[in-house]
Amino acid sequence: MGSVIEINPFTRVEGHGSAKLYLDGSHVERVELCLTESPRLFESLLIGRSYAEVPDIICRICSLCSTVHKVTALLAVEDAFGTKVSEVTGLTRELIAQGGLIQSHALHLYCLLLPDLFKVRGVAELALAAPELLKTGLAVKRVGNLIQETVGGRLIHPVNITLGGLGQRISRDKLLHMRDELEAILPACRDACRLFSAPPVFPQLPVPICLAVGPAAPPLSGEQFRMTDGRSFPVNAYRDSISESVLPYSNAKYAQVLGHEPTVGALSRLNLRSGLGQEASRIFDSVKEEIVGRDIRGNNVAQAVELYQAVENSLSLIDRLLEIGREGAGNVEVAPKSGRGTAACEAPRGVLIHSYAFDDAGICTEADVITPTSLNQGALSRDLLALARGMEGADAASMVDALERLIRCYDPCISCSVHLIHI
Amino acid sequence: MIRPKLAIAGLTACSGCQLTLLNCEEELPEIVRGFELAYFPMAQSSNDPEAVFDVAIVEGAVSTKGDLATLFRLRNSSRLLVAFGTCALHGGVAAMNNRLNTREELIRGVYGEGTGSFESFPPSPFKNFVSVDFSITGCPPEKHDLIALLGALLAGTLPPTQCYPVCTECRSRENLCLLLEKNQLCLGPIIQGGCNARCPATGIVCEGCRGPVREANVAQELELLLERGFDKEEIKRRMSRFTPEWDYGQRH
Repeated sequence: MGSVIEINPFTRVEGHGSAKLYLDGSHVERVELCLTESPRLFESLLIGRSYAEVPDIICRICSLCSTVHKVTALLAVEDAFGTKVSEVTGLTRELIAQGGLIQSHALHLYCLLLPDLFKVRGVAELALAAPELLKTGLAVKRVGNLIQETVGGRLIHPVNITLGGLGQRISRDKLLHMRDELEAILPACRDACRLFSAPPVFPQLPVPICLAVGPAAPPLSGEQFRMTDGRSFPVNAYRDSISESVLPYSNAKYAQVLGHEPTVGALSRLNLRSGLGQEASRIFDSVKEEIVGRDIRGNNVAQAVELYQAVENSLSLIDRLLEIGREGAGNVEVAPKSGRGTAACEAPRGVLIHSYAFDDAGICTEADVITPTSLNQGALSRDLLALARGMEGADAASMVDALERLIRCYDPCISCSVHLIHI
Repeated sequence: MIRPKLAIAGLTACSGCQLTLLNCEEELPEIVRGFELAYFPMAQSSNDPEAVFDVAIVEGAVSTKGDLATLFRLRNSSRLLVAFGTCALHGGVAAMNNRLNTREELIRGVYGEGTGSFESFPPSPFKNFVSVDFSITGCPPEKHDLIALLGALLAGTLPPTQCYPVCTECRSRENLCLLLEKNQLCLGPIIQGGCNARCPATGIVCEGCRGPVREANVAQELELLLERGFDKEEIKRRMSRFTPEWDYGQRH
């Protein structure tokens, strides 16, 4: 006899989603992943708006990743107009993106995932079960936010990073303050890799086909995409390789890359990219067997490695900015012209693509945004089905628990995913 | 001590207002001691949807039947309803084209022709559907406004409401006036203050993320910007970024 198990809503994730498992007896026939976030239709809202407004509006897609959305939009608009920004501008954007990554990974690991490790419902019970650990996690998260606020002018939806440059350069005092605060959280970030190293105990899942922006960290943007099957393709021709379709039960489009369901995010980056600093490499080596060639259960420890890496990267970016001081070129003029611009960055949750077309006056005529969670949607559905089938016969409650835990391995950002593209 | 029961939820939004609570890193342990987080799907599992609450703090605009059902449920099950953030208060970014396009046009632009119908209506503020007891504005909201609300709730009251434009704080910070001295399209004179003029302080114009200040002199701002050579359509486009409904003739 047919029955349905429903997980509604997903909890301890960003945004609104649910899933249905269709069973025939104890056999799991199929899984429907429904990203039910109400669509805000950003790509349509941008049509007819000036290029100057695009980055300010589009960063509102998502609060957790507003910084990297803003940076990617700035890069895409500048790509359309052939604008080349100064070294200080480039470094400052990288620094704020690292701050965004620290904030986002720390939020996920310590506030949303850690309750699973202590078998409590959430952040409030965690404050009783593991008060010191929660405080440590919040201290790490706070430093990510300190960078975002100091560099961006506010915590969410930063304003100080602009087309062609910066509202204000970051002063020496502020850089030094951020450096002190970053150094203070290095030990906690080192511990995070131990804390989150054990993968959840479920049946084996399919090995993912990883997709990331190449070639190396720390530049968060790049010209090429790379995959673990050895293939690569250029960012500005992404449309030839990424296809999307609309599913009847989800408000996020379903993406395929060269015919595969890709996996993006921390796990994919560490499987594909080099460029870890000395200490980050040592930490990575100690947990490598949980990450390299592994399924999505390795994503959370990969996030922990990246947390350390982001702190190291931020410190070297700050050192370089201190070295440049007040020297070096400042802002450049942005002159609109007709054309298309595309940029791809590594958002905390993986590959993020923005592409815009403008007319002679710089009015936006086309907008296209592909987010990590929409790229991961196919792999997440596939893994939910694989896990549910691997647990056939288990009671509904433990199945729901395991599936929710799997969803948190992916760390989806559903607000982001429900904003897709022209077909 | 009886801990007030809180519901924290989001409708059509970016989760930024709920994130603002989680961004209170230093205060969070004290907040969860003082309140019972009875419903907070973004940061807590096994929430009881049938529970009743002392206060529901809800972000986002209302744009689907599902949003409306959640809003009615939280209104009916809570003593106080707080509209949290600009989307809840004014419609926010998702509502910017409410006066320009139909929902169908916008949906076709994103999902393509003939992709079935999405259940979606123009994003609207809470006040169009329910009574609201208190509001916190901002995209994103300021942490100190949230902390002030939570502190007041523990004392059994609500914080005083603020009513002054962005320019008040901007002038007292002695920022360069971007509107008068740099001839930029700054919305500071008609936008609710309380953000300590964050954006003008870094040399960026006020984009209006906190929505209209009460008794805004809208007509005067419009005249000033027109005099300075800005195009009327551009001004309206900029003003509608967070608030689609303006009375352009309003004078005080």
